[in-house]
Amino acid sequence: MSDPLEIRIDAERCMGSGNCVFWAPDTFDLSEDGHSVVTDPLATDEERLRIAAQGCPVGAITLWRAGAEVPLEEGS
Amino acid sequence: MTEVKSATDPAVVPFDPFELKDVVGGNIRDPYPRLHELCRESPVHTGPIDMGEGADEPDPSRPPPVTVFGFEEVVQVLRDNETYSSGVYTDVMGMVMGRTILEMDEPEHRMNRALVAPSFRSKVLERWEEDLVALVVNELVDSFVDSGRADLVREITFNFPVQVIARILGLPRSDYPKFQRWALEITSVAANFERGMAASAALGDYFVDVMAERRSTPGDDLISDLVRAEVDGERLSDEEIYSFLRLLLPAGVETTYRASGSLLFALLHDRTQFDALFGDRALFAQAFEEVVRWEPPVTVILRRAARDAELAGVKIEQGADIALMIGAANRDERKYKDPDRFDMFRDQRQHVGFGFGVHVCLGMHLARMESRVALNTLFDRLGPFTLDPQAEAPHIEGMAFRSPLSLPVVFGAGG
Repeated sequence: MSDPLEIRIDAERCMGSGNCVFWAPDTFDLSEDGHSVVTDPLATDEERLRIAAQGCPVGAITLWRAGAEVPLEEGS
Repeated sequence: MTEVKSATDPAVVPFDPFELKDVVGGNIRDPYPRLHELCRESPVHTGPIDMGEGADEPDPSRPPPVTVFGFEEVVQVLRDNETYSSGVYTDVMGMVMGRTILEMDEPEHRMNRALVAPSFRSKVLERWEEDLVALVVNELVDSFVDSGRADLVREITFNFPVQVIARILGLPRSDYPKFQRWALEITSVAANFERGMAASAALGDYFVDVMAERRSTPGDDLISDLVRAEVDGERLSDEEIYSFLRLLLPAGVETTYRASGSLLFALLHDRTQFDALFGDRALFAQAFEEVVRWEPPVTVILRRAARDAELAGVKIEQGADIALMIGAANRDERKYKDPDRFDMFRDQRQHVGFGFGVHVCLGMHLARMESRVALNTLFDRLGPFTLDPQAEAPHIEGMAFRSPLSLPVVFGAGG
């Protein structure tokens, strides 16, 4: 059993497109001031999280496991 | 001005999807073989491009133009908004729209987008779903449901986005015909410049009165939201609001019309996927993303180099205009398996059909919601529908903007 994914959002980059909320509504939400926040990192399966991070138009979302960044592209 | 307006009196001119037919040359039915060819040659080209009818003469007074076909290269340009400026749109769109977020760079863009963005968040849009979008589409379906056949472009996709925008703006029902007419004329400005400019002016005059009214009696509508919007003590001026409202027509109406039409086209040509979506509506999200990849309504995004740059080994001069071929990037053979196929079940879901970077489509959540409600309503009211075997086969057409111009279907007793 591998460690759970950690989701990091670069608040400086985030421009509130809401694309992450679209792909993973159980994990992401937009705050009052229009920035993405993680509400429940475990509520979405990893494949879907990867799509959400990949779809961020400003590349503000990165995924980490055991302190190392997880590449978003996989052979697909 | 007066004669132009009278010539387009909304009461007498019928609304015709063919007015939005793309006038640009090239193989408008299937530009993709040529786009693949150019992308294989090189993902980035400098100088005029030959789409099949010969290239334009180079203009020696300007830096050579750049055309980008590759997915990663397009993403790179859209992400680097400091090197690649949106100011290029000042010349193209600014005249018709006024100054809008489309043509702004940072930090001006960020500030202005923040003022309008809250109205386009998916949670905020939920309030429009049942009372508004479903209502609009149901009314449209009422008019043909008993006949067993319909052209879904003329009856549905061409009409619902503009009516949805009109209702979101809180416009009175009696104004819809003229609003639709102005929307069409502004959107087709490339085909008829004078008419487009006249419509733009007329729409501006119209909004002056609407704005005054919303200031005195705010309501639950987008214009009232914009009048009240404030970020860090900054507000939108009246002129900025007019410009934004004008931009909503091509940005919010035409694109949704085209994307929803192309989605229906794709489903009507693939019974397995039609049935899958009909049976499991939760698949809509991926079906819609796939159509925005496969046939993006807007196939080209423009930028201008703010400084000398290099992209995929190709030198770009400061001041060069850059055309990002979204249609080509979304079918980049290096990224997608079988890229020309519409496949809502494909693994690779990333695309640039909504753009990318800080200018990514503001209305994407509205487009997704509207199209979902429209399709569900069609499924629920018509049952499974099929292409009309007696009608002329429809095609997706266009170069800069693409969609089917007709979708003749039969259903129920008609099928």
